Amino acid sequence: MRVFSGQRAWLLQRFSAIAILVLLVLGIVRLAMSDGTAYERWHAIATSTHGVVLILAFFLSMGLHGWIGVRDVVLDYVHAPSLRLPLLAVIAFILVAVQIRVAMILLGQP
Amino acid sequence: MRVSIYRFDPDVDQRPRMQDYDVELRHTDRMLLDVLLRLKEIDDSLSFRRSCREGVCGSDAMNINGRNGLACIHPVSELKEPVVLRPLPGFPVVRDLVVDMTQFFSHYHSIRPYVVDDRPMPERERLQSPEERERLNGLYECILCACCSSFCPSYWWNPDKFIGPAGLLQAWRFITDSRDTARSERLAFLDDVYRLYRCRTIMNCTEVCPKGLSPSHAIEQIRTALVKDSS
Repeated sequence: MRVFSGQRAWLLQRFSAIAILVLLVLGIVRLAMSDGTAYERWHAIATSTHGVVLILAFFLSMGLHGWIGVRDVVLDYVHAPSLRLPLLAVIAFILVAVQIRVAMILLGQP
Repeated sequence: MRVSIYRFDPDVDQRPRMQDYDVELRHTDRMLLDVLLRLKEIDDSLSFRRSCREGVCGSDAMNINGRNGLACIHPVSELKEPVVLRPLPGFPVVRDLVVDMTQFFSHYHSIRPYVVDDRPMPERERLQSPEERERLNGLYECILCACCSSFCPSYWWNPDKFIGPAGLLQAWRFITDSRDTARSERLAFLDDVYRLYRCRTIMNCTEVCPKGLSPSHAIEQIRTALVKDSS
């Protein structure tokens, strides 16, 4: 896909890395500032609107970052198209499945 | 001095082997190339390239005790024994220390290593300001010895598609040349998942360049130019 090629992929990987870092810090600060047991703190985040947005954005950034990174490793080491394409398909499937599962959990359809 | 050299003659040998030599040095033998020439007197079947003997032609690039370098400018006094000499890693071996550089030069040619200028010819010459000329320093000195590309893991993984540090340094040399008018075409050619973006900034290229150049810096400049030109 052209959107994940060359310069765009390179930029996306860097922007997603920054997003992961920022969202991680925001999450830690949010957790540290709330009261209650660990479960209650996590529950408060996962049920608040901004918490859901934060977690979804975090997993989306992780998915993008992970896809470009793992795809690059596959491009480097796996040269046979018969192996490369199925491998990329499996990785893409896992990453998309994780996104969908996270969204289902956060939006109350576990 | 004890020297261990990679030997392979495809016409005779089934597999490559390492051959040990003990060579008596003379006081005039200052550089590794002098040692190799001394060895050639003992064993004339040993093959290696050399030409200028002063680090200008880049012919005698080889792997010296695990690092790529030029035999002609590698002082004997800095060598740890036994001196292990191998051909440039990642390149097909033609014989002994001689490698096939066809692919390396094909990548070099792919970046169009010449100034492209479609404007009408000036009366005398295309002038550059001192600042514009300054931008070429650290780039034009590349002698295409392939020490950098051959020491780059990304090049080992995709030698047929990744242009490699030497080719990319040369690409930036022409992109940044004030007389060149093909900047956007050159950048568009490089904006590819393989040609430029296989570089992982491992920086082996900069580490081993016998001329002290920095291909990794040139690659970074290309990436920056791509971002600036596309925004």
